[in-house]
Amino acid sequence: MIPDKKEYPSFQSHFWPRTRNGRLGLFALVGLFALVEPPLLYLLGHRIEPWILGVPFMYAYLSAVYVALIGVLIWIQRQGV
Amino acid sequence: MSELDTWVIATTLIFGYILLVLLLGLFANRRLTVNMEDFFLYGRKAGFVVMYLTVVATYHSAFAFLGSGGFFYTHGIGFWDAGTWTVLVGIITYVLGSRIWALGKRFGYVTPADLLSDFYESDAVRVVVAIVSVIFTILYIQVQAQGLGYIISVASDNRISFELGSLILLVVAAIYLAAGGLRAVYWNDVVQGIWMYIAIWLGALVLTYKLFGSPLELWRRVSVERPDLLTLPGPEGFFTPGMWVGMAVSLCGVMFMPQMMIRFYTAASDRTIKWLGATTPIYLVSLYVPAAFVGLGGALALPDLEVADQIFPELLFRHASPWLTGAILAGAAAAAMSTLDSILHANMTVLTRDIYQKYIRTNASQAHYVWVGRAFVAALLVIGYILSVTSSDYLVTLVSISGSGALQLAPGICGVCFPSRRLLTRTGVLSGLTIGLLTLFWALVLSPHPFGVHGSIWALVVNTLVTVVVSRYTRPPSAETVWRIHGEIERFVYGKSSVEASRQDSTSI
Repeated sequence: MIPDKKEYPSFQSHFWPRTRNGRLGLFALVGLFALVEPPLLYLLGHRIEPWILGVPFMYAYLSAVYVALIGVLIWIQRQGV
Repeated sequence: MSELDTWVIATTLIFGYILLVLLLGLFANRRLTVNMEDFFLYGRKAGFVVMYLTVVATYHSAFAFLGSGGFFYTHGIGFWDAGTWTVLVGIITYVLGSRIWALGKRFGYVTPADLLSDFYESDAVRVVVAIVSVIFTILYIQVQAQGLGYIISVASDNRISFELGSLILLVVAAIYLAAGGLRAVYWNDVVQGIWMYIAIWLGALVLTYKLFGSPLELWRRVSVERPDLLTLPGPEGFFTPGMWVGMAVSLCGVMFMPQMMIRFYTAASDRTIKWLGATTPIYLVSLYVPAAFVGLGGALALPDLEVADQIFPELLFRHASPWLTGAILAGAAAAAMSTLDSILHANMTVLTRDIYQKYIRTNASQAHYVWVGRAFVAALLVIGYILSVTSSDYLVTLVSISGSGALQLAPGICGVCFPSRRLLTRTGVLSGLTIGLLTLFWALVLSPHPFGVHGSIWALVVNTLVTVVVSRYTRPPSAETVWRIHGEIERFVYGKSSVEASRQDSTSI
């Protein structure tokens, strides 16, 4: 027997951020992750040349996105999201 | 210096390190208050520095020190995917860890099963979660024990066997854990976290400059001599798109293992956890930079190595000074032991709390449970040792299997920590977990990685679908429990006023 739904709390879903900064952080993280996953990784980053600062392009590309992801995480923490 | 001197120095340094960790365990024992909160949870008062170093040292293990070099050696640049899952670890810690901390503090949870069984109002959930936690982390004990065996047998130039090496280091970890509980583990993790980081960077840079002149020259040589190591899917075709995604997902599954989840309960504040989430990827990602030097450089300098995971110690033994080799191999031992002690602790806690205290002897003294925990450590030590010497596999593969298994707890945990109008139910969670684990067995063992997609992805997708669908047609947790637990999360994230507003909405319907 499924109980009466009226007895239950009706909290808004926690899967979707309620603040502007929360949404910005979510979009930034998802967007950056998309850059290091297929298919965007193969379209944009999967090559050896041009070399960036003496390392192959793909290594530099991935490293740059990882640094950006960490930067977003720190920004989220500082905003108190 | 002769080869004899090298093994003597390397082995002496490792045993010096062992003495240090035992002493730390002894000091921790003197500070121990004999109760479960202190022995199992460090009294829930770990600050940022201790939390940071214990989380990174526990996450990075023999797998990071040995397995990652081996993976770069075999599969090339594809292993730089590691950055993805280490950043995901930070996100999981930030979002999920802080919520788990809040619930643990409010309701006195000690294990992951405490949290799940309380929300889903089910002893079956407690037992199943405890069993899944223990089974998949035992595989992880095997990983660490094998890593320790490799390290000590290479350091001693095979004068100490792989089996004996594993046994010595397992026993040492068990002794200091039994003596000082989680405090001993945390104190040792602080030392081990610093040591392993310095060791891997120092060792990799020394080898790179000695063998190639500079890291940039190493990259240039790889592009000329082994360009197949610089593209996907790598020389053996491993890093297909599906595997790239799957490795990232399965390896962040380590965060759902009890040794990581229990850490969330132990933090002094939610601020500690959030800073941890934001900054741990810095340590975790940067540890794989020197691993790339070791693996890719090793592929050029020592191309026909039989066991890829041994590339780092083998290179050190051949090309670094004895003192440096010893110090770095002790760092490798630190990497393995810092994870091993945490797994032994987590399994001890789960077995004592979720099985013994709940179903065998419910009203014993705190001291009694501490001693039972110590007995479980001894039993786990024996099981871990037997597993480590009877089976052999690549470290990363074993980690991937255990991470994938633990990941199957994710839907159930998210159902507790993320309030939503569609509630998950105990029947849904148990069904999803069961079918998810069966799918994992099919997609990892019977027919590995179907259609080039990692088995953990198949299992997680099926698990989530079954959990959600079954939950729609079965009885949810009582309204009282949902108000209590989801209300606590709502208050923690959005404040008391948000809970009150929801309560008024509910009564006005």
